[in-house]
Amino acid sequence: MRPIDRPAVRIIAALLAPVAVLIWWQAQSAAGGARALAFVPLQDVGASLVEMAASGLLAADTLATVSRAVTGLLFGSMAGILVGAAMAMSPIVDRIVGPLYHSVRQVPLLGWLPLIGLWLGNGDGAKLLIVGLAAFYPTVLGSYEGLRQVERRYLEVGVLLGFTPLQHFTKVLLPGGLPLILTGIAQAIAFAWIATIGTEILLGAGAGLGATMSHAQAQQRMDVILVAIVATGLLGFTLNHLFARLRQHLLRWQAAIA
Amino acid sequence: MTRASSLIAGVGPLLLILLLWQWASASGLFPPQVLVAPADVAATLADLIARGELGVHLATSLKRLIAGFLAGAALGLAFGTGLALSRTFEALFAPMFQALRQVPVLAFLPMLVLLLGIEEGFKIVVVAIAAFFPVALAAFDGVRGLPRSYLEVARLYRTPLVPLLGRILLPATIPPILTGLRLGLTRAWLVLVACELLAADSGVGQMMEMGRQMFRIDVVLAGVLVSGLVGFTLDRGVKLIERRQLRWKAA
Amino acid sequence: MNVSTRVEAAGEARSGPGALTISGLSRTFRIDGRELPVLQGIDLSVRPGEFVSIVGPSGCGKSTLLRLIAGLDTDFSGEIRLDGKRITGTGLERGLVFQDHRLFPWMTLEENVGLALLNGTLDQARRKAVVEDHLALVNLTGFEKAYPHQLSGGMAQRAAIARALVTEPTLLLLDEPLGALDALTRVHVQRELQRIWMQQGSTMIMVTHDVEEAVYLGDRVVIMDARPGRIRRIVDVDLPHPRKRSLPQLHRLRDQILDELTRTPEGPSENLVPFPSREAR
Repeated sequence: MRPIDRPAVRIIAALLAPVAVLIWWQAQSAAGGARALAFVPLQDVGASLVEMAASGLLAADTLATVSRAVTGLLFGSMAGILVGAAMAMSPIVDRIVGPLYHSVRQVPLLGWLPLIGLWLGNGDGAKLLIVGLAAFYPTVLGSYEGLRQVERRYLEVGVLLGFTPLQHFTKVLLPGGLPLILTGIAQAIAFAWIATIGTEILLGAGAGLGATMSHAQAQQRMDVILVAIVATGLLGFTLNHLFARLRQHLLRWQAAIA
Repeated sequence: MTRASSLIAGVGPLLLILLLWQWASASGLFPPQVLVAPADVAATLADLIARGELGVHLATSLKRLIAGFLAGAALGLAFGTGLALSRTFEALFAPMFQALRQVPVLAFLPMLVLLLGIEEGFKIVVVAIAAFFPVALAAFDGVRGLPRSYLEVARLYRTPLVPLLGRILLPATIPPILTGLRLGLTRAWLVLVACELLAADSGVGQMMEMGRQMFRIDVVLAGVLVSGLVGFTLDRGVKLIERRQLRWKAA
Repeated sequence: MNVSTRVEAAGEARSGPGALTISGLSRTFRIDGRELPVLQGIDLSVRPGEFVSIVGPSGCGKSTLLRLIAGLDTDFSGEIRLDGKRITGTGLERGLVFQDHRLFPWMTLEENVGLALLNGTLDQARRKAVVEDHLALVNLTGFEKAYPHQLSGGMAQRAAIARALVTEPTLLLLDEPLGALDALTRVHVQRELQRIWMQQGSTMIMVTHDVEEAVYLGDRVVIMDARPGRIRRIVDVDLPHPRKRSLPQLHRLRDQILDELTRTPEGPSENLVPFPSREAR
């Protein structure tokens, strides 16, 4: 084995770059230049972390952001599955809704914020709507493509065995389309998380990691921002990872791809 | 279906919505803050174009987009290729790359505002970051996915680095890289608009935010339309290039 | 051994479970405005409990014939009667085994095999017992919880046969069931098929490319012509079951039929039947 492939070496190598960045950061904060305020000493960041955790602020923010993301995700993806399924099953719906979907999708998601802000103000409603929309788009596509590509030959077996239309859907279409539907949902989770943080930053009000970051920026508290960034990254990773495991379990019938 | 009828089928529903919208706003059911007739939006749009205002906003946004995207994509290509070609490079930088990738780009906005202020540089950096990750990932996948046999043939003939890159690496990896570029471009546009909503004095996003603050929903909608059109054009543009590049590939 | 060329006329069919009568069956496909006759004037009577093999060159409509009998295709002229009743659409008294096993990849073996029982009258305990019986019939006991991707081709095909038999159909149709299997597995499953047929007593109609398989398993072999698909003649295989593959009569019959199928009236024929076990699909 080449030295670079040894596990111990790989761990050390992985740590080199981050440690270098931290050292550079600490040096910057000690140098006291023009943006000294921004380069907060690392020990301050650690202290902020402890403080935010102890005061419950971190927990409250985490809860607010995660519940916002999950709520928007649930509504958006359920709507997405319904619309995608309708489009897959009915050529008329496909022809009517399809162009609408594709044109609305072109607008950058957060570009809807001013409009929704005019309609719904700054509150949770506006945020949830955007998060829901973020989850909606990929779920529609995944459901649509998933259901459409279920092979005719399996549907024929259903005809042969006298399936009712409901059985056709639950025993053939849905399981057969599940791989792509779950891919759509995986993307929906990722986009919903991004949208949640994004709207929290842009709409400031309320609790949540993004809102805290926005306030911290106004108060020039880089230490709080950094804690929030790490929390965001960890939570996002966990959400995606958990879903990946769920997906693997649901699709355990698939042949392993070598 | 003939091309004409499929075109009608595609545009029909949109026209229908447009008509419904016109009728709804003309009926007076909704206050002007909530709904404004499409005719008014069109008029506002025409006005903005005529006064050159839209042109300025659009040009500013696009300048930032192009500058940031070029920087981010170039770095992303280099980084991704490096990751794929060198185990050492990968061992050193892949973990940090994967960790940073978990954070939504927008989450870096407050931090970057504190570090860079809200000048042009800040926006270009944000766009560059937004473009960097998808392009780096695509370059990594594309080069990694290269069949070993190609590289072995190159080694057999002792191909030096430049021809290796130009004549083997590039043509084989163009399809996935183009897809990555497209993703990076659309994501960069999305992030730029968000950025301009937050902190800018010009640009399409800022135009929409101004419209919101002045309760001018027609301006906001004009902005929505323009941002959607730009997004669409960017996406389609790269798709066209992708399709032409894919001609040599079996369908 | 009789090699007779009787063609059973319609109306001669005896009644009893599993008697199939086809009279004047024709099927035409419409492609790009042109009419393509796939089957023309098919007359066939199958006795209850009989095993009938159907062979013929590519394009002779044998698969279409099976699909019409199964009810997957309903656009035809002529009549198909099972035990006197006209066939309209699919029904659980007629089972069909495809060449690609078409087990649902997302279901375990026992779920797959039990599919046909879902809309029946049996309760869950009885259903489970029936499924187990049929898995035992095809020698797949112990694989109830396996997913199709974990099975070999031969095992999957046997499971497909079990699925088709689970409703105890009076008529079992098999569309080149062993075509996707390798030669050794094919021999093995052929033997299984013969055993199952002798045990169950259903009427079976099997389409195959393999003439040897056709004469080994069949009481009669229907030889078809192509373009349009017609029955050329029907051959009796008057040998008792179970049969040994090595029987010289079987070999002679096979050679005769092969020769007939590959013989050309003048010049190279489109009816060329490639040697079955070597055919590339």
